[in-house]
Amino acid sequence: MNAIVLSETRGPAIMPPDPILSLEDLSVVFGDLVAIKALSLAVRRGEFVSLLGPSGCGKSTLLKAIAGLVPPTGGKIVRAFASMSASFMFQKPLLLPWRTALDNVLLPVEIERGGNAVDSSDRRNAERMLNLVQLGEFAGAYPHQLSGGMQQRVALARALISNPDVLLLDEPFGALDELTREVLNEELIRIWRSMETRLSTVIMVTHSIPEAAAMSDRVIVFSQRPARIVEDVPVDVPRPREPGDVRSAAFVRRIRALIRSGR
Amino acid sequence: MIARAAPPLAFGALAIVVWQAAVMIGKVPEYLLPSPTAILATFDLSLLKQFGVTFLEALAGFLIASVLAFAVATLFVRFHLLEEGLFPIAIAVKTTPIVAIAPLLVIWLGTGWWSKIVAAVLICFFPVLVNVVKGLKAADVEYLELFKTLGASRSQEFRKLRVPYCLPYLFSALKISSSLAVVGAIVGEFVGATKGLGYLIIISSAHLETATLFSAIIAAAFAGIAMFYAIGFAERRLIFWSSGGGE
Ligand SMILES: Nc1ncnc2c1ncn2[C@@H]1O[C@H](COP(=O)(O)OP(=O)(O)O)[C@@H](O)[C@H]1O
Ligand SMILES: [Mg+2]
Repeated sequence: MNAIVLSETRGPAIMPPDPILSLEDLSVVFGDLVAIKALSLAVRRGEFVSLLGPSGCGKSTLLKAIAGLVPPTGGKIVRAFASMSASFMFQKPLLLPWRTALDNVLLPVEIERGGNAVDSSDRRNAERMLNLVQLGEFAGAYPHQLSGGMQQRVALARALISNPDVLLLDEPFGALDELTREVLNEELIRIWRSMETRLSTVIMVTHSIPEAAAMSDRVIVFSQRPARIVEDVPVDVPRPREPGDVRSAAFVRRIRALIRSGR
Repeated sequence: MIARAAPPLAFGALAIVVWQAAVMIGKVPEYLLPSPTAILATFDLSLLKQFGVTFLEALAGFLIASVLAFAVATLFVRFHLLEEGLFPIAIAVKTTPIVAIAPLLVIWLGTGWWSKIVAAVLICFFPVLVNVVKGLKAADVEYLELFKTLGASRSQEFRKLRVPYCLPYLFSALKISSSLAVVGAIVGEFVGATKGLGYLIIISSAHLETATLFSAIIAAAFAGIAMFYAIGFAERRLIFWSSGGGE
């Protein structure tokens, strides 16, 4: 077990201290509704961070601010380097129903290329992404021919094709059944840990405490709106982790107690 | 398909037989109710010619209206002020009956093709406009957010998301307006024309040539049905992912 831990390329133990992304006194206000108030948070390169908090506290808003979908009202978002790229993955797959799985995965490339059509190397790349999410055989299938879990895999492949440094996930598998969700969580961890993409950092909003504890290096627990960090809990359980890991069970209890305390 | 078509065909055939028998046995005068065989005898090349005239007028009006309505809808969605200013006016024009406008069209455009084509355009334009405006706005906010995170330009968002999203709305409007186009062309011909099914209907009714009147009516119905089914066929080919949108 220890040997495995030492051979880890990612994890809190040997993580470089420099943040890839920092939020400094970030505030987001919608009209007179304060969604986020003076929030500071640094995410280190290589980290898998989960965001937990009551519904409506501003978690999605936080991710959207990082993705540039919502302009910050105050404070700033600092990226470690100018070329840092982030992909957003939503709770719904949001596939275009008139496109095959492969063409859905190609969408970000098409948009980036502007007028220029995608070429065969782009197609090969999209096929590689579909293989990465175990859907290689379904390249030609249309979304309505795929199950919910498969659709979400396509969405993951689409998020990965632009080779992002950071992946922003908003309850990515929340709409799926428990079993499918567990499998997809494992896939996500596998892809994050593999060297097949440039992906280093994951920030994931989730509603499930065990999921957060099982997957993350850190769990950030938010207060009621406006979102404030109640606790920043490191999960220094070695990887690969077992789903029923005793130590992570202790974390689950701790985080649950934090959320229950209602702060 | 064949199994579904069988019952209506059987009932139709039965109705025609009863009709023929009733006319023959009851010795109904032909100007009142011609028998099916008498009507059939009036199906000739000249009817086909009149049909062709009306069909082309309707088709031209339908195509022009569709392109025009799509373009105007695009402008409405792109420039909100245009929509706010013009949409209510469009609705007001829409509620004006085409029958009331048709004589004016003949005064302005003469008794040739154009008064009929424009009548068809007027009647086809609004259903398409209304539905395309609705369809172009129908894309979920979440899809728009996705496109925003991908850094899509306005025109990319339009071409790759809004337009395909709108297709079910467009087609349900096209099905309505395709049969309306025939109405527009015939109304135009009623007011002033020297050819077309509308002209034939007016002339044959004035002369009590009721059999010809019937064949003109059947031809007019066929024109509308043909347009409707052609659009429906294209729709099923093109929009395999949706079970229809809009009204
Ligand atoms: N675009 C918006 N305009 C106005 N209010 C918004 C908008 N987006 C989110 N909100 C509000 O901000 C609060 C936080 O929302 P959100 O970030 O979605 O919460 P969470 O994801 O934590 O459940 C909610 O009260 C929500 O209604
Ligand atoms: Mg949310």
